[in-house]
Amino acid sequence: MADLFHNLALGFGVAVSPINLLLCLIGALVGTLVGVLPGIGTIATVAMLLPITFGLPPVGALIMLAGIYYGAQYGGSTTSILVNIPGEATSVVTTLDGFQMAKQGRAGPALAIAAIGSFFAGCVATVLIAVLGAPLTKLALAFGPAEYFSLMVLGLIFAVVLAKGSVLKAIAMIVFGLLLSMVGSDIETGASRMAFNIPELADGLGFATVAMGVFGFAEIIRNLDAGAEMDRDLVQQKITGLMPTKKDLIDSAPAILRGTVLGSILGILPGGGAVIASFAAYTLEKKIAKDPSRFGRGAIEGVAAPESANNAAAQTSFIPLLTLGIPPNAVMALMVGAMTIHGIVPGPQVMQKQPDLVWGMIASMWIGNLMLIIINLPLVGIWVRLLRVPYRLMFPSIVVFCAIGIYSINNAPVDVVLAGAFGLVGYWLIKHDFEPAPLLLGMVLGPLMEENLRRALLISRGDWSVFLTRPLSAGLMAVAAALLVLAVLPTLRRKRDEVFVESES
Amino acid sequence: MAETTGEVPNRSATERAPAARNNFGALVILVLALAPQIIELLTSCAGLIFNFSGRNPLQVLAGHGSALLLAVAGLATQSFGGGKAALSSDTLLALIYTYPMLAVALFTLLVRLRAPQDYFGGVVLMAMALFSLWASSDLQGMHGFSFGAGTAPRMFGMLLLALGAAVAIVGVVSDGPDLAIYHWRGPLFVMLAIVAFAVSIRPLGLVISGLASFLISALGTPETRWVETLIVGVCLTIGCALLFPYVLGLPMPLFPRFLVQ
Repeated sequence: MADLFHNLALGFGVAVSPINLLLCLIGALVGTLVGVLPGIGTIATVAMLLPITFGLPPVGALIMLAGIYYGAQYGGSTTSILVNIPGEATSVVTTLDGFQMAKQGRAGPALAIAAIGSFFAGCVATVLIAVLGAPLTKLALAFGPAEYFSLMVLGLIFAVVLAKGSVLKAIAMIVFGLLLSMVGSDIETGASRMAFNIPELADGLGFATVAMGVFGFAEIIRNLDAGAEMDRDLVQQKITGLMPTKKDLIDSAPAILRGTVLGSILGILPGGGAVIASFAAYTLEKKIAKDPSRFGRGAIEGVAAPESANNAAAQTSFIPLLTLGIPPNAVMALMVGAMTIHGIVPGPQVMQKQPDLVWGMIASMWIGNLMLIIINLPLVGIWVRLLRVPYRLMFPSIVVFCAIGIYSINNAPVDVVLAGAFGLVGYWLIKHDFEPAPLLLGMVLGPLMEENLRRALLISRGDWSVFLTRPLSAGLMAVAAALLVLAVLPTLRRKRDEVFVESES
Repeated sequence: MAETTGEVPNRSATERAPAARNNFGALVILVLALAPQIIELLTSCAGLIFNFSGRNPLQVLAGHGSALLLAVAGLATQSFGGGKAALSSDTLLALIYTYPMLAVALFTLLVRLRAPQDYFGGVVLMAMALFSLWASSDLQGMHGFSFGAGTAPRMFGMLLLALGAAVAIVGVVSDGPDLAIYHWRGPLFVMLAIVAFAVSIRPLGLVISGLASFLISALGTPETRWVETLIVGVCLTIGCALLFPYVLGLPMPLFPRFLVQ
């Protein structure tokens, strides 16, 4: 316990330094700014803004990125409440009741409750990370290569089960991602694999490059299909009365609490993350409500619960990353990319060797949440004006900004062309109803998986049963297998589809 | 499948004309099957103009042509004669990638697709898998119980091949959505803008290439109004020219090389 306070104190010591506070503030502001732009999701926002953190020291860069991440999420909620366009998957459910509230002239309270719920969830999740961080790190030390491999398989299976649509297609996407991660030099022998003598490929496909292509460029091209003037029924009334009434607060308090608990649990699971948390929280609220018919007509619980759940999940998903070094979702995968660029290999060692970095980041999450609540509520008017920027002007700006950003990573023009190519790949994926997020996750986990697989088999002298004879690994594998079976079983599949259909009804 | 359509007449109203669609689809897969050869031919032609080193177009044409025609014969002599002579890379490409894809194209002609979206998605995944199998065919495989450089790529390649085939088969046996409509204008101009940026950033600098790619990508929609686009483009370029090199400290050329010197 004393350890916990010591760690948190250390973290706040780092995070409260003026420069880091400033970075956190800028990150949250810029993240919201980009996240508010319709059609740009959290992943695209983080990928786009990744290059602007390169010039900073590692701690500052990570703090800023964390700020960007929360900002982007909050920006996504703002657009879903005000314009009925969810910036990203996590805020899809927020549109259901949030937009209805806005139509009834209660956009202010909806935004305020979203912010308050997020802040509360953020506080709880921050404490949770601090509490769970150290013991999980100890657990991580008991992990051998076989266990790591099994855990990653479990994570990928989670990602499959929780992805929208066909299980088969999601698995195919993961394997495609794994295959893409093989491009470049082999870790052990240094042999060049599938690089076709292109020097820029010798180092492998850059993760940010692929992410920017598949999420940034592909999204732009897709939006252009629909015509540049997207159908936007912007709420025209002036937003008045920002503060929620006492009744609103009383109504939403239990919803926030439930959302936080649900989100925190789902966030820790590898592959889980924020999307499923917000869906699950909304479904739960609807199930236990006395009058479920209020939902979809502007029930404040329908905003409070998913918003707090997705923020809690967003934050607790840092736990597997910081303790085990395994990114549980695509955004965390980008964070790994950022850490690697700064020479940090995420995992149990980081916690011990660079406690200031880890705890500084954890503390800055809390501060970031606080800032969101302080800066965003007064700035709602500006965000609304931003939403009126026509897409015909916005998309060329995004193209150029992304291109400059990718170029600045390695100063390599080839990277820009590759990102463009992956934009086309992403467009093709969308047209054939493949989810790009599992692909990204597979790509990040690929090298880790291969390395641990090779090591495990080397240690066991080529015996594949090692994954089933070591108890911890066998347990993880069993859970993965059970999940996969459940996912293809008809009854659960229907349930799972129901959860996702909720948003479209 | 044919008899079910007979039994349920009201479904035939919603049915697509499968024949025309399949012919076109098979043609696309045929082109896909020959894409690596075609691309190498094109790059070698470009090589003549820009003076790359590498095979010239005639060599490429001869190499791939004979490989495509004689791959099976080569394989047969090798297995019968027990000769140690390794197959050439061109022959392997024909054997590993092109022939299976041609088989898929033929298959496409013969079946009735019930979910084209899934079917063609799966086929392209298969193509990627086969291509990666070819690309990693020159790498060392397992030696003893330790992995070689090529083991993991081949393993995942096979897995992707199987999964792609499964997705495609699902598209044959169960009903699903038709192909989504592809548009050309958005993708074309956005890609042109990206390539233009990549080509011009080094020699011409951020200011010119940024503005140029802004204007090119603005062509991606017919709704562009040029005056406001120009104004926004100039402002954005100035903003980026200040943000990236100065505020963020990321070095990049701002102005054309010949002006700076």
